[in-house]
Formats: sequence, C-alpha cells, structure tokens
Amino acid sequence: MDSRHAYFMKQALIMGEKALETGETPVGCVLVYKNEIVGSGMNDTNKSMNGTRHAEFIAIEQMLENHPRSLLRSTDLYVTVEPCVMCASALRQYQIRTVYFGCGNDRFGGTGSILSLHSDLSIDPPYVVHGGLFREEAIMLLRRFYIQENENAPKPRPKKHRELKTSFETSIPGSQASSPTI
Amino acid sequence: MDVETILRGVQPLVGEVVPIRSVQETRPVEEYADAYVAEVNVKTASKVIKALDSAFPRDSSHPLNHLRRFAKHNQIPESLRPTLLKEGYLPSQTIFVLIPSPLPAPEALQTLLAPFVPPPRETPLPLPQPATADPSLPSTSAPAPAAAAAAETTTPSTTAPATSTITLHTITVPMQPPLTPTQAEHWSSKMWPVVFNPAAPRALIAPPPQILSRVRDAIAPKAGRYLALAQAVAAEAERSGLGRGVGAVVVDPELEPTDEEETEASSWTDAIVAVAGDGRYSRREGGQPAPAEIAGGGSGPSPHRGTYDADWEGGPELHALMRAVELISSKRREDKPGSRRQKIRPVLYGLEEYFLQKSEVPLRGAETVAGAGGADVEREDAAAPPPEKYQKTTETEAHAIHLHHKEVEEQGAEAGGGAGGVGPRIRSREQGGYLCNDLDVYLSHEPCICCCMGLLLSRFRAVIFPRRGRMVSGGLASEPVVKPVPVEAGSDHPVEEEAEGGTEEASTKNREYYGLHWRKELNWRALGFEFVAAGESEGASAETGVAFHA
Repeated sequence: MDSRHAYFMKQALIMGEKALETGETPVGCVLVYKNEIVGSGMNDTNKSMNGTRHAEFIAIEQMLENHPRSLLRSTDLYVTVEPCVMCASALRQYQIRTVYFGCGNDRFGGTGSILSLHSDLSIDPPYVVHGGLFREEAIMLLRRFYIQENENAPKPRPKKHRELKTSFETSIPGSQASSPTI
Repeated sequence: MDVETILRGVQPLVGEVVPIRSVQETRPVEEYADAYVAEVNVKTASKVIKALDSAFPRDSSHPLNHLRRFAKHNQIPESLRPTLLKEGYLPSQTIFVLIPSPLPAPEALQTLLAPFVPPPRETPLPLPQPATADPSLPSTSAPAPAAAAAAETTTPSTTAPATSTITLHTITVPMQPPLTPTQAEHWSSKMWPVVFNPAAPRALIAPPPQILSRVRDAIAPKAGRYLALAQAVAAEAERSGLGRGVGAVVVDPELEPTDEEETEASSWTDAIVAVAGDGRYSRREGGQPAPAEIAGGGSGPSPHRGTYDADWEGGPELHALMRAVELISSKRREDKPGSRRQKIRPVLYGLEEYFLQKSEVPLRGAETVAGAGGADVEREDAAAPPPEKYQKTTETEAHAIHLHHKEVEEQGAEAGGGAGGVGPRIRSREQGGYLCNDLDVYLSHEPCICCCMGLLLSRFRAVIFPRRGRMVSGGLASEPVVKPVPVEAGSDHPVEEEAEGGTEEASTKNREYYGLHWRKELNWRALGFEFVAAGESEGASAETGVAFHA
C-alpha cells in the first residue's frame, strides 16, 4: 500500500477512535485535497439527536467553511467504513473524486454492498471507489462499539454476555469494488 | 406574505393515497435451481426425512419451506410424469422425496437412501399416461429443459429394474417463496408442489397489509391538506430565491385530534410539528457570498433554478427533508438561541419560524397543569392508546418503547415539570424524544436518494409525496407510472419543451427506481405513499422538468 494512503486512512481511524470514546458509532473520515486534510469528521448522530449526522457530512461541512464546493471535484475521501446509501449519494452529488474505505457495510453500504450509487446512472458523474484499506482495524472499532449497550436507544438491548471477537474471515464481504493493494 | 394568510389560503389537494409498491413487489426475484428427486418406499417416509436432515443439514438462511418435501404420485407435475412414474409402482407403494440445494454428492445421497428403496412391484403397470395425453405434452413446456436434464443425469442404473438402487432425477425448483396463490399453483403444476404461505414471506416483501391499510386510512383524510401546505412551503422557498421549490411538512400522528376533540378551537395544523423548505442557495461556502446573495440578495426566484449545475446546488443537507430533520433535532437537543448549530443551519422561512414557535407552546390540556404537579398530564397520557411502531421492532418491543417514553414523562411531571418541561409538541432528549421516531413526513416532491436514506435513518414512520412530484433522481418509487401515451401531445408547444432543456428527456426514460422505503436489505423501513390527484392523467410531472435532487 502506498504510504500516503496508509497515512490518511490512519487519520480516519483516529477520528473513528475519537467517536468511540464519545459514545458515537465509530466511523471516522478525512477529506484530502492536494495531499492536505481539508476536513475531518466522525459520526455525531447521538450527540446531535440527528440520524443523518454521519462522519462524511461533518467533514464536508468543515471543508466548506474554508473552501468552495467545486473543490470536492479534486478531493478524495478516506473513511473507515463503506459510505452508507445516504452518504454515497451525497458524495455523488458533491462530485467527490475518489473514495477509499476500510471495511464493507452489508447493512447500508451504498458503494457496492447494497447499492452502487458511485457508478449507477445519475445526473452527476460517477466516482472511483477502493475498499479494504485497514479493513481489520475498522472492523475492530465497530466490534468494540457494538458489544456495548446503546444507552441512547429508547430500549437498550442487554448485551452482558458478549465477548469481543478478534478473528477475521479472509474474504472481504461487501467490497466487490475493492482492490486491497493500492 | 403573512403566515396566517398563507395557512388560510391552503386548499387541500383532492385525490387518493396509494401505497408505493416495494422493489420486492415490482421486481420479484425468480430464481431457480436444480434439485434431486428420488422415489422411496412410502412406509419409510419419516425415516427418510430423519436420515436426510441429519446427514445434510439445511441452510437456515434459505429455508425453502415453500417446497413440499414429498410428492405423491398424483401431485407430480404432468411434464415430469413420463420420467418419474415410469417405474410403474402403485401410489400406495412409493412416494417422491425432494432434495433441494445445497445438493449433496449423488453417490453419498444414493448410499444414504439405499435402505429406503421401493418394495418389489406388486402389479406392474403400463405407463401411467394414456396415449391420448401425449399430444399435450410438448405444450406443457415450462420445465421441459428440466425433464430433458432429468433424462440425461439419471444414473446408469435406470435401465435396470430399480429394486436395489435409488435413482436420482434432476428437476428445477423455484428458490423463492411464491408471492401469490396463483404463482404457487403455476409452479406446482409445472415444476414441483409448492406451498403458499400468505404470512411468512410477506414482511420482507412489503409492509404487512393490515398495517399498511390502517396507516393509509389514518392519513388519508388530511394528506391533501398537508401536501398542499408542503407546496406552499415550496412556493415560499422558491419565491425567496434561497432554495428550489421543494417543501416538507412533519406531522406527529399522536397529536391528531380525535373526532370528539375536533372542535372549533382546534385547527387543521394542530398535529404539524415542523415544516421546512429547500435552502440550497442560502449557504456561504469558503467565505464567499451564498448563491442567493450573488444573484441579488434574495429578491425573487433564483436564476439557477432553470438548470442543473452542481456548483450552485449547495448540498443535500440543505434539501427540505434534511432541513426538517435538523429542525426536529434542534428541539430534541433544546438548542439555545444563537448556538453554533443554529448559525450553520439557520431558520430561513416565515412558515418554518411559525411552526417552530408553535412547538414551544405546550400541548392543549397540558397548559393547565404546567408547574402544578403532573397528575392531569399523567392521566391524559394514560388515556391515549400506545401508538404503534412499524419498523424493525416487534409488536411487543414497540409497546415497551412507548411505555418507556411514558415513564420518562411521568418522572418529569412528578419532578414538577419545570419550564417548558410538560408536554412540548416535540419531546426533548430528556423526555424520551428520539430522532424522528413515529413521525410522518409530507413532501412536495419525491426526495433524492440521499434524503430517502436520511428519512429512514431518522426513523420516520411514513413518507407521502404527490405522484406529480416524482423526480428523475428520486429514491422512493420502484416502477414507472404506467399511463396511456397521448398521441398528439406536445406538438403545439415545441418551443416550451425546448426551453425546459433537452437532456432531461433522456434521463427520464432511464431513471433508476430504488424503492428505498421498504427495501429488504436495509435495517430501517418506512411506509411509502403517493398521492394521486383526482383526474390525474395529463399535466406536467416533475420528472419531465429540470432534473435535480429534491
């Protein structure tokens, strides 16, 4: 893997780690324009009481404070989990250049798992997607989150007997679009 | 225009609320696969099942419960009879067992079934099909390839009298449960006996019929009003130049007055908790003036609305649906005026402000007890039947959630309520408010796919938009509107069509139909409805206008 990609995905993972610390679903991302991070975000749905405040939206909001949206055409996204259907469509509307993600998202994934919004017919140009960068690290973040109980849910499900799984299957489910060695 | 004047002027749309069909309904998967059939001693049938289930455990993710495991002689489809019944056993002697995928190795299967071979023939029969039936055989063509395959793949032992060896025939079977009794009958007569279960597969295919019709009946009386208001909000957004002409109205069905409560004092707007208009031209990016400011300071509709240029489109978080969600969230969070979030996502329109302020006013009935304990509130809450949730949760979980809400409220009431703590129209986090749980959203247009997923993630109960508001870029419809093609249409207005742009036409024909409201793969579901205006056959659909994301 190109060390540049590794560096930016690590930054996304750090954002995910921060999300976990604050009780948010641990997904983090950074927006990179000309080798420089111009926006970063982590999930904010619990704190904001707004189910649409995903990491990608936070990062874009931050970027647009200092840059016009047309810059997104030459900007790449590094995100720990495959963008969901909502974010995959938003990224298309914002005309992002390339998306690099960690693990697939077989519940909501919008760039290959459930839908392929990056490449489907649309009124906006398609974007390129690469999956599988630090996939195991991204999955471990999610596992550490999901063994906790969700105190924000109206009726938390008890999870007393869950154990943290640390093994991985060799396949990369939900990332057909992936090319793990980039 | 004054808000009260706008509200008085809202004329309900006249028409009908129809459920949007799900992608599972409009694009049923017809998946077929090979399966083995073996003729076994009818007296050993239960042992056959035991032996098969212990040797080849079934794939629980594909239970295949719709396929009968056994078929009696008279249940064998006509086209399979020449192959399956040619051994000439009596119906009292043998029965046919189905071994569907994952297919075991034929040798292993034959060894396993060896103890259950048919008994010696009692009376050798001629071929069961009378000669007169033969001419009809070629016409029963559906599984003909399967029949041919069966002939080819039967083991060499078929030529010998089958007394000591099990013969495996390969047939083709449907892998998905039938959606209708007709489909079940069709498959049963052509492929293999199939069972139709009206309850089991349905929830993954479409909303359960009784829930769908109950919600439709509940929303139908006022849907025309709410949609007309959504259009009024849209008009305000367009007029201002701050957004495109798209509007959203969020309704809490729990706040709908019951028939007895419907008095002169109550207004048709009582159950509305928020409205929002599109605001895509309102945002400043990178320190530059917003598109609306560049275009002339918000006086009159934006010049950008006649075309689609991504650079002027703001982003989906400025769409009406997303703005409505954020307004609800700000109430749940109890944002202080002038907070950072309010600066980033400001309230833009008079109608929005009106309903936001209205949501500060405590509910009727709660006013009298504010600050005076909570006994009355408690009683009113207890009198209201627990509303239902139709999403992923089960019936019992749904009730538990609402009981939980009530407990929280009661606790709040017992603690003395506090300022605004009793019965607000939008519950705060402390009062058990959660995302957009159990709310309905009425939209002037079919939302873009981003907003569709946003409304699912926000846990709305239902989404309703006018069929005329369908969008090329929409994410809810799962099929085109089928209507007769007018022969001479358009011939007298070629100039107008030209003005609307040429590229849209092509995209209309090729639009995607995602049907996101009840897509089985997604964790969250909402009930989707279209409002079909009375006499709707001609008139412009938003699909043929400028293509943009609503």
